[in-house]
Amino acid sequence: MNELHIKKGWTPKIEGAPSLELDDSPNPLNVALIPETIPYIKPKLRVKEGDHVQIGSVLFIDKRNPEIQFLSPGCGSIDKIVFGNRRVIQAIIIKLDQKETFQSFQTITENELDALDRDTLIRMLISGGVWPYIRALPFRDIASPTAKPPSIIVNLLTREPFQPNPEVYLKGNKDMFMFGMHVLQKISNNKVMVYTSPDNPFVTKVFSDVITHKISGPYPLDDPGVFLYHVKQSSDDNRSWFINGQDVIFIAKLLLEGKYPIERIVSVAGTGSRFKKHIRTRLGVPLSHICKHAALLQDIRTIVGGVFTGYKTSLDSYLGFYDTSVMLVPEGNEPELFGFLRLGYSKPTHSRTFFSVFNRSPKEIDCNLHGCQRACVNCGFCVSICAVDILPQFLMKSILAGDTQEALMHGLLDCAECGLCTYVCPSKISLHQIIQTAKRNYYLET
Amino acid sequence: MKFINQLLDQYRPLFHKGGKYEKLYPLFEATETFFFNPPHVTITSPHIRDSLDLKRMMILVFMALLPPFLFGIYNAGYQSNIVSHISPTFFGNLFMGLYIVLPIVIVSYGVGLFWEILFASIRGHDISEGFFVTGLLFPMTLPPTISLWQVAVGISFGVVIGKEIFGGTGRNFLNPALTARAFLFFAYPSSMSGDHVWRVIQSQTNQMTDAITAATPLSCAMPIELTGSIASILNDYGYSFTRLLFGCHPGSIGETSAFLCYLGAIFLIITGIGSYRIIIGGIIGALFTGYLFNSLYSIGLSPWFSLPPLYHLVMGGFALGIVYMATDPVSAPGIEHVKWIYGFAIGALTVCIRVVNPAYPEGVMLAILFMNIFAPLLDYIAIQITLRKRVPNV
Repeated sequence: MNELHIKKGWTPKIEGAPSLELDDSPNPLNVALIPETIPYIKPKLRVKEGDHVQIGSVLFIDKRNPEIQFLSPGCGSIDKIVFGNRRVIQAIIIKLDQKETFQSFQTITENELDALDRDTLIRMLISGGVWPYIRALPFRDIASPTAKPPSIIVNLLTREPFQPNPEVYLKGNKDMFMFGMHVLQKISNNKVMVYTSPDNPFVTKVFSDVITHKISGPYPLDDPGVFLYHVKQSSDDNRSWFINGQDVIFIAKLLLEGKYPIERIVSVAGTGSRFKKHIRTRLGVPLSHICKHAALLQDIRTIVGGVFTGYKTSLDSYLGFYDTSVMLVPEGNEPELFGFLRLGYSKPTHSRTFFSVFNRSPKEIDCNLHGCQRACVNCGFCVSICAVDILPQFLMKSILAGDTQEALMHGLLDCAECGLCTYVCPSKISLHQIIQTAKRNYYLET
Repeated sequence: MKFINQLLDQYRPLFHKGGKYEKLYPLFEATETFFFNPPHVTITSPHIRDSLDLKRMMILVFMALLPPFLFGIYNAGYQSNIVSHISPTFFGNLFMGLYIVLPIVIVSYGVGLFWEILFASIRGHDISEGFFVTGLLFPMTLPPTISLWQVAVGISFGVVIGKEIFGGTGRNFLNPALTARAFLFFAYPSSMSGDHVWRVIQSQTNQMTDAITAATPLSCAMPIELTGSIASILNDYGYSFTRLLFGCHPGSIGETSAFLCYLGAIFLIITGIGSYRIIIGGIIGALFTGYLFNSLYSIGLSPWFSLPPLYHLVMGGFALGIVYMATDPVSAPGIEHVKWIYGFAIGALTVCIRVVNPAYPEGVMLAILFMNIFAPLLDYIAIQITLRKRVPNV
């Protein structure tokens, strides 16, 4: 087992962390699939309003690669298909039946898996709808079934506030996870890298057979791109694939039980939430079904994903394909008198410019910008925090100057899109967004 | 608080698009954000942002500047009272100092802000807080006898030529306050150097006192025919090391108290706003070069060669320059390790100019401006080296 420590990065101490308690949530009335939150895909519908679908029926395919299909997370009739501007499919809402039925898929046992060849296995994952959980770095698009990955990275740790703790979803699922690992080894030709951090004794103890790297360090260590940056030997490794720990269990479930896996363990957290814990629920559940606003005076923002990389939505929306956490955070859209003169004993900051450096307790956060946009003054805070050793301010300038070659030299594609550079920027420049857009555009052009 | 809020809300429409004073929106924005942290929220991820903003950063630099500045006010009054044969009392010195210094500061801020607002209005961006520091730093580098029109011309040059024509804050490769000073230094040398400019002679006293010269520590060490160790020459003039350190001697308004400048440096380093690499690098550079010149000293050379290196740290504007000017992040290099080289070079060049070039008793201004110009080159070289270490990802 390789051990490594990554110094750069930062884990903020934030109030509102979820407890390790796991609650079951009752079945909702309807579920939905939201294609919008799956990056890059061009969905082509295979159903229309009023159709009846089972759990595991094909809802839409990806036009770019028609093999890749996305399956229904519920059994019932298609209630509504919501279109946005330019007929972007925003949501496919399914009204659930009382008694739900499953589309059945082929099952295999551990021994059969050994005998199976790689292509057949991949076909099974694709038709079972779990293939999109395997994604390829550096663009994080769905892995190409025909490509051969240099390795597959599985992360078993959490850093970003607040993703589900691996301990919660792994407990009692050891066999499933090991079977999933077996599948990944088959796909990647035994080149699976599993990493976790020493601060997670349950995972390091129970899964010590499969863990290849024990890495300590702050956020964004949980991002596979950061892991890859620190362990890669040559530029061939850049195209590694990755999958979340929880998704490995889905793969195993599909192959062992022959059903499309819809169970999700989701963390609900944030100071704006009435409860902060892990919830066992299902894919596509309405967000209002699993979380409720606390009775605060302020506006509350619903963030799906972590506070650094998540996206803003509303409680009327549904849990997306990849999503495993919901944060409810106060908007903080109120002016503060003489904010720049305050001592700031409870202000969250990475710098040493407030008295909060003496305050080690978790701080309350909000979505305020805490300032206005200014020109970059080259203060270098972003450089000091970037976990993949990019010089974000120089990278940003080369992107804005339109020099893609220079940007690539600076490590544009190594960027883990963790958002820390934007977080610390005193000029409030959206470095992360500029870099992300450039990366996306580069991908779409090539 | 409510009252200010209401007032701002009342006049807001006048300054927004289509309003009567639409062009002056930056002024309104600056006023508003002075009172309130605006209620702007994040639009995309990351949803949370650091509480630190540029305003806070600049206010902290401003606060670090206050001790040497306040002492500068006091000292200007003290020196003036001495030379005008008025018995120096604490309040007498303070009021005289305020009388001398405040107009200079007001002109510096007023004229500078005019240019800032003009450019911000035309370009349609907000006024950068960096000017709060520039507007105070510039008067601190001036002799107290400076005429107000020269202050106005100087700050105009500094802001317009030193900053705005390159695109404003963040794009200036020279420190605007030093550019302003350099302009005055070369355009009006008789007002900026010599023995007569460092003390204000009050009008009611006899004009003949003009004959009393007030040599700064740097200029009294100039005459090369002097023999003996330079430290003792300085001592003869009354400039002991401790006096130089604490700063009760003639000089530019804010430069005399090296002690308070270094105190400011500690504050900047602790808060992480000033780069300790630049400050410590600069001190090491000055000491190292000072020792080097000591070892080269022989009879016949300028007595400057024999100056104990520690004196370099407390004489002239070195402390003010290395702590507040060299650490200006815009004109300094952006790569952390390069900041050591940058700081070291500033310290070394300052001492070189002081020791070797008899025409310029003060070298720190030129050293910093010179290294400002080299900062992008240093950055470029460092970036090429860093990028070579990366595993390519194309």
